[in-house]
Amino acid sequence: MITNGIVETDSAQEFIEEIEKSRDALPTKIDANPQNVEKGLARLVLTLIELIRKLLEKQAMRRVEAGSLSEEEIERVGETLMKLENKMKELKQIFGLKDEELNLNLGPLGDLM
Amino acid sequence: MKIYIYGIIDCSDQMAESIYGLGGTGVYNIPYCDIGAIVSEVNQRVQDVTEDAVLEHEAVVERLVDKYTVLPVRFLTIVDGRIDVLSLMRRYYRDFKDNLERLRNKREFGIKVIWPADKIKENITNAFEKTKQSMSASDDSPKSRFIKEKYEKYKIDKEFDEKASRFINAMDLFLSKFAAEKKLEKLKTDNLLMDAVYLVEKAKESGFREAFEHIKSAHPGLKYLLSGPWPPYNFVILPKKPGLLENTGQAIASDEVIQSQSFVGADNL
Amino acid sequence: MDSAIAKTKDVTLLEILDRVLNKGVVISGDMVISVADVDLIYLGLKVLLSSVETMEKLRGSPFVGPTQEPT
Repeated sequence: MITNGIVETDSAQEFIEEIEKSRDALPTKIDANPQNVEKGLARLVLTLIELIRKLLEKQAMRRVEAGSLSEEEIERVGETLMKLENKMKELKQIFGLKDEELNLNLGPLGDLM
Repeated sequence: MKIYIYGIIDCSDQMAESIYGLGGTGVYNIPYCDIGAIVSEVNQRVQDVTEDAVLEHEAVVERLVDKYTVLPVRFLTIVDGRIDVLSLMRRYYRDFKDNLERLRNKREFGIKVIWPADKIKENITNAFEKTKQSMSASDDSPKSRFIKEKYEKYKIDKEFDEKASRFINAMDLFLSKFAAEKKLEKLKTDNLLMDAVYLVEKAKESGFREAFEHIKSAHPGLKYLLSGPWPPYNFVILPKKPGLLENTGQAIASDEVIQSQSFVGADNL
Repeated sequence: MDSAIAKTKDVTLLEILDRVLNKGVVISGDMVISVADVDLIYLGLKVLLSSVETMEKLRGSPFVGPTQEPT
């Protein structure tokens, strides 16, 4: 073995797959290339909107779980979340952005979402 | 010639043996007080990031670990000259010393665990199926279906996450007994249940390995990876400090030493 | 059999890369003059450059590849 550091595993292939998956590079910089500036800005804005949408969704789920919403409220929340989700899908399509792209790498803090 | 830095050691003597580094030149020690920087000379500032270069770099560090306590320096750290190396050690002398003290006689082990995420989610889903009736929704409108599905997914994900925490805590319970420090990351991917590094004293290494074997036999359905012993890459702690570049007399240069990556998610455990 | 060894070597390389590229003493800023700076992109196994030139140089040196020392 080349180094003293040794690796012991029966499942090298599986670990390789997961390690590479966890490394899939997120763009860490906003592309300042003028042709891509618009898309870069859209990505940033939509990422933040997506963050808020997910937080709202999670909050709604917690309230459903806690039973603190009436039937009617649950329905209304459902409608709102649905509309939000559909709107996001639309915007993603318009700007040609994929789900994976709507994230930010915060360096030592990991990924935003 | 430029200077390539491999690591900081707790020794100011010249090296006893001949080691060669990247580019085939000899590796030597630039001392500062009672510490030193292990370097070699390279003739280009631009070095290719090749597998061989990486392995050569690591091989040098490994040779050092046999004899000294080493703070490994990142791959491809090249500076202009000796003065920069000395300046670096002067600025971070206290930090380097503290790390060298803390990391003496300790080596790092990595443990990764894979679990079958899909199957686990399936089991959770099946368990929830049985209690599904209790969820309201008399009507079947798209709105209530939407929120029902969201809610179910939320419950499954939540249970999945909690189950992961329970597993990791159980494993960590055994391993921590032999470790001075640790960093854990939960669910880096759905399948990568745990990605952890442990700092283990040489004297406790066999206990640590035994604990790992015990865990493997307790949960044979999972997949395990043990790597190490490594130099303490993940346990070097350095503050950011603005600094002075002595040879240019320039005021506050932006030298920054970034804290080694701490795993995100450890607070969730 | 062969491929199991190859895979283990690959995962070992990944473990090494994670450490030497991102961890340890990381210095950036004006002092460091190498091209691979803070934004050194993790290249992964598939994309690691293989420089023929570098390998030729390595063959000529007394330190031919890493030392094959037993642990």
